[in-house]
Amino acid sequence: MDMDVIARNLHFMLGGLVLTFELAIITLAGGFLVGLILAMGRLSSRAWLYYPATCYVHFFRGLPLILVIFWLYFLSPVVTGRSLEAFYAAIIAFVVFEGAYFAEIIRAGIQSIPKGQAMAAYSTGLTPFQCTRDVILPQALRNMTPALVTQAVIIFQDTSLAYVIGLREFLRRVNLVDAREARSVELYLFAGLLYFTFCSAGSLLSQRLENRRQRNRV
Amino acid sequence: MIEIKNVSLWYDKNHQVLNDISETIQRGQTVVICGPSGSGKSSLLRCINGLEYFQKGDIIVNGVSVQDPDTNIHQLRSNIGMVFQHFELYPHMTAMENITLAPLRVRKKSKNEAEKKAMEILERVGIPEQALKYPAELSGGQKQRVAIARALAMEPKIMLFDEPTSALDPEMIKEVLDVMIDLAGEGMTMVVVTHEMGFAREVAHEIIFMDKGRMIEKGSGHDFFNHPKNERTRQFLSRILI
Ligand SMILES: Nc1ncnc2c1ncn2[C@@H]1O[C@H](COP(=O)(O)OP(=O)(O)OP(=O)(O)O)[C@@H](O)[C@H]1O
Ligand SMILES: [Mg+2]
Repeated sequence: MDMDVIARNLHFMLGGLVLTFELAIITLAGGFLVGLILAMGRLSSRAWLYYPATCYVHFFRGLPLILVIFWLYFLSPVVTGRSLEAFYAAIIAFVVFEGAYFAEIIRAGIQSIPKGQAMAAYSTGLTPFQCTRDVILPQALRNMTPALVTQAVIIFQDTSLAYVIGLREFLRRVNLVDAREARSVELYLFAGLLYFTFCSAGSLLSQRLENRRQRNRV
Repeated sequence: MIEIKNVSLWYDKNHQVLNDISETIQRGQTVVICGPSGSGKSSLLRCINGLEYFQKGDIIVNGVSVQDPDTNIHQLRSNIGMVFQHFELYPHMTAMENITLAPLRVRKKSKNEAEKKAMEILERVGIPEQALKYPAELSGGQKQRVAIARALAMEPKIMLFDEPTSALDPEMIKEVLDVMIDLAGEGMTMVVVTHEMGFAREVAHEIIFMDKGRMIEKGSGHDFFNHPKNERTRQFLSRILI
């Protein structure tokens, strides 16, 4: 084992973490927003909202993420005539893909709120929009925080797939160092340790939140 | 003030929940509805403020048809208060926030104005000191009084109560009924689903007995209790009055 290879390249590799986090955070925010809109569609009684949202969710949940990334990167120039920068291709693919998963988390969260809450809100004259924003969503969000944190952990792991279109995020940089130094065992153990640390911190947080939620049940 | 005309409601083809219900309720009257579980009492209340869609008949509230597509249903509901068996307070908001939400959003009141009004109403229902507590910190009777205050904050012309005391411990029932008796005395128009026959005797202008989606019997308190015409009503009363 040659641990020195890690020390020598630490700066370069950790630099990739910046991009990793950037991808993860933008995906988290964008995916949540897309998911929220889709969830509203999935819960709508209007067919023209329900069916498109439902098809979208089923479609993307039925595909591997890596394929969606390839499509955006390699097919979008064919369709639009302009090439898409790898960073944007990755972001769009992530947001579009993770949005489908967020949609199901948010839908379940909203459905976990008893019907009487909406009835009470409507009986005072609130509109469906006001009822959702002020009464349903705040409670639903609280219920789904553990699931959201878990999804954030998955997104953090998924960002490594951006390497397939040449983005130099953390894992890609480790990979580049390996190509130069030929020290696969040490380097990939190091990469594993790093992912594992971040992800188990997230899982632990999710577990804590879940426990607290169970305790605070009224 | 409330005119219910031949209303029928089905939840699905084979399941008729309301069967040709007609009833007129005058301004300032208190009408009590009782009847066995599943007879359609809650469904009827929900029809009155448009929370339930009925297939046949019409309901006119204050001259406005509830199911007319031109009716602004949110405005109509804002003038009809509703109180539920299980309170349905918003658990993430304090009592004060529960009460002021609709005045702020629907009536566009200022925060100051809404909170001042909310305090007045909390005093009226006897729990001004609970204003900043969350529902989980209140007793059942206090929760229901906050729920009544939430409805009253919209200054409704009509109040609908759906078994407001049946989830309460016996010692808390009175504090809620007292508030309702006060309201009736002040001339509020009320429709109350309840099995509290003492309350019905005291304040009801009319008592209605429902069974299997039909209004089987209605009459003034005196007639209803002393000369029930229908056999089912007699059975029901004998069970409930012990
Ligand atoms: N949303 C719904 N979908 C389908 N069926 C329903 C729905 N709500 C109520 N029902 C059915 O309609 C019938 C009447 O219900 P409703 O709640 O109006 O009765 P109720 O007189 O209020 O009874 P309870 O005393 O139990 O509250 C019942 O058979 C009930 O199962
Ligand atoms: Mg009921």
